[in-house]
Amino acid sequence: MLESADLHFNVDHGYLEGLVRGCKASLLTPQDYVNLVQCETLEDLKIHLQTTDYGNFLANETNPLTVSKIDTEMRKKLCREFDYFRNHSLEPLSTFLSYMTCSYMIDNVILLMNGALQKKSVKEILDKCHPLGSFTEMEAVNIAETTSDLFNAVLVETPLAPFFQDCMSENTLDELNVELLRNKLYKSYLESFYKFCKNHGDITAEVMCPILEFEADRRSFIITLNSFGTELSKDDRKTLYPTCGRLHPEGLRMLAQAEDFDQMKTVADHYGVYKPVFEAVGGSEGKTLEDVFYEHEVKMNVLAFNRQFHYGVFYAYIKLKEQEMRNIVWIAECISQRHRTKINSYIPIL
Amino acid sequence: MSDNTKFPGRRKVHRLPPPATLLPGLRAQAGPRPAEPAECIVLPLTTPLAETIMKARLKGAQTGRNLLKKKSDALTLRFRQILKKIIETKMLMGEVMREAAFSLAEAKFTGDDFSTTVIQNVNKAQVKIRAKKDNVAGVTLPVFEHYHEGTDGYELTGLARGGEQLAKLKRNYAKAVELLVELASLQTSFVTLDEAIKITNRRVNAIEHVIIPRIERTLAYIITELDEREREEFYRLKKIQEKKKILKEKCEKDLEQRRAAGEVMEPANLLAEEKDEDLLFE
Repeated sequence: MLESADLHFNVDHGYLEGLVRGCKASLLTPQDYVNLVQCETLEDLKIHLQTTDYGNFLANETNPLTVSKIDTEMRKKLCREFDYFRNHSLEPLSTFLSYMTCSYMIDNVILLMNGALQKKSVKEILDKCHPLGSFTEMEAVNIAETTSDLFNAVLVETPLAPFFQDCMSENTLDELNVELLRNKLYKSYLESFYKFCKNHGDITAEVMCPILEFEADRRSFIITLNSFGTELSKDDRKTLYPTCGRLHPEGLRMLAQAEDFDQMKTVADHYGVYKPVFEAVGGSEGKTLEDVFYEHEVKMNVLAFNRQFHYGVFYAYIKLKEQEMRNIVWIAECISQRHRTKINSYIPIL
Repeated sequence: MSDNTKFPGRRKVHRLPPPATLLPGLRAQAGPRPAEPAECIVLPLTTPLAETIMKARLKGAQTGRNLLKKKSDALTLRFRQILKKIIETKMLMGEVMREAAFSLAEAKFTGDDFSTTVIQNVNKAQVKIRAKKDNVAGVTLPVFEHYHEGTDGYELTGLARGGEQLAKLKRNYAKAVELLVELASLQTSFVTLDEAIKITNRRVNAIEHVIIPRIERTLAYIITELDEREREEFYRLKKIQEKKKILKEKCEKDLEQRRAAGEVMEPANLLAEEKDEDLLFE
């Protein structure tokens, strides 16, 4: 029922929603970005960031300041905020939040499996894992000898188990398949997430489902684009497309047959939402398809904040924060490499 | 010159500095062999044969010096060319590396962090180097040539995100690696050539300033010795002639005296027209 969201949402999740909206208000403004772009050195950047919500997050860093240090510290801050949300959440918000961490978990698991195959030590791989995607059995990964042991013993406890079952038909794990495995896992994750949001109903479904549909379609387009000229066959490509988007089933079928960018464009022209997106590719600033997709995603995420009483704000906040982190890292790299021509190609958020 | 007294027959030459090793194989007769070759004193055979031999050696040394000079010139020319190319390549290298580092930043911006995936999957090298030899005026220079082996294992990395940037990144770094290989070749050739040029120049200078003057001096010494000997001969001959003349004059005087005293019988002169008593008829 429609009123149930308005009436009962704040009982369980009101505090966290307020918190998230407060965090969103502290994202960097265009003025902040202008200030950052004008910095000459990374030290200037640090000083400017101190005036924003980031505060003294770099205060404990020794010289010299590098871009990777900035990146790590920002990520740690994001993780602290996210863990706070997760620890204070109730069902079904906690399921939603753990769905959000699944994508990072997938990356971490692939990394750990690779490392276990190459007999690398667990410690060094653990350092490189994304902190948002950590799960308790991570250290146990290297105990497993074969991949089936890995799945059965380690991953059955994690929320990733159902995704693995979908692609467990082939048990092989060579380099080509690592990427395919990663993409297949992501596809089943996305579809599962979509189903969850849809079953939840209410405003969450209204807000999250378009976002997830866009994500699914975007992945299909990008996979197609990047598989031109590689060994990936068309059938393999088709198995990687998430089916929860607008393109399913007709668009995906056409996309699987596409051979180059123009054919992809004709597929997109059938869909009103994607036609202007593809038109914006190229243009005067040499925007790539990915840039345009990022901008579209950012727009949708910002719009999610216009409605109340749904879980989409958490998803949107994390995505926007990540985009902001990427922007700051981009600006920092341009400054440190003294390559200022493209310093304004960050994606503006607000 | 303290050794002079030990060697009988050794001439003391005041006019010129003593030539050192002349005909190799000829050593001083007896006595200690001094350590430094400059003081190694050899009995010179100042014969015309020695002069011819010395002249031949001088000619040989001069030809050798010219050949080495040509070699040194060729090497220097190649050296300068390589230097110019190194400077160009280094400038280009700076640009290319900058471009590559920037494309890395771009790829990180659009895609996820693929660095750990890439580092994990490293096993065999895709770009390998073959070393070949190049010959410049007798100096072998190593030249590195790169070749690709194996397929691109990272074709599918970034399939879902940032693949285009990754492809650009791969291209940029591949270009950087090729340039690095070329630069490595050039630098090793540079160093090798430098060595070779130094050695050759040293030899040229040695021949020009040490060996040829030495031979010339020896040659001059031999020639002067020969001249002197000839003069002595000539003087000796002259002296003997004088002596003979005096002896002859003395003899004639004696003869005159004795003829005047009537003791000498003139032998019959067949050519003089005298009356012969034995001839009956005229």
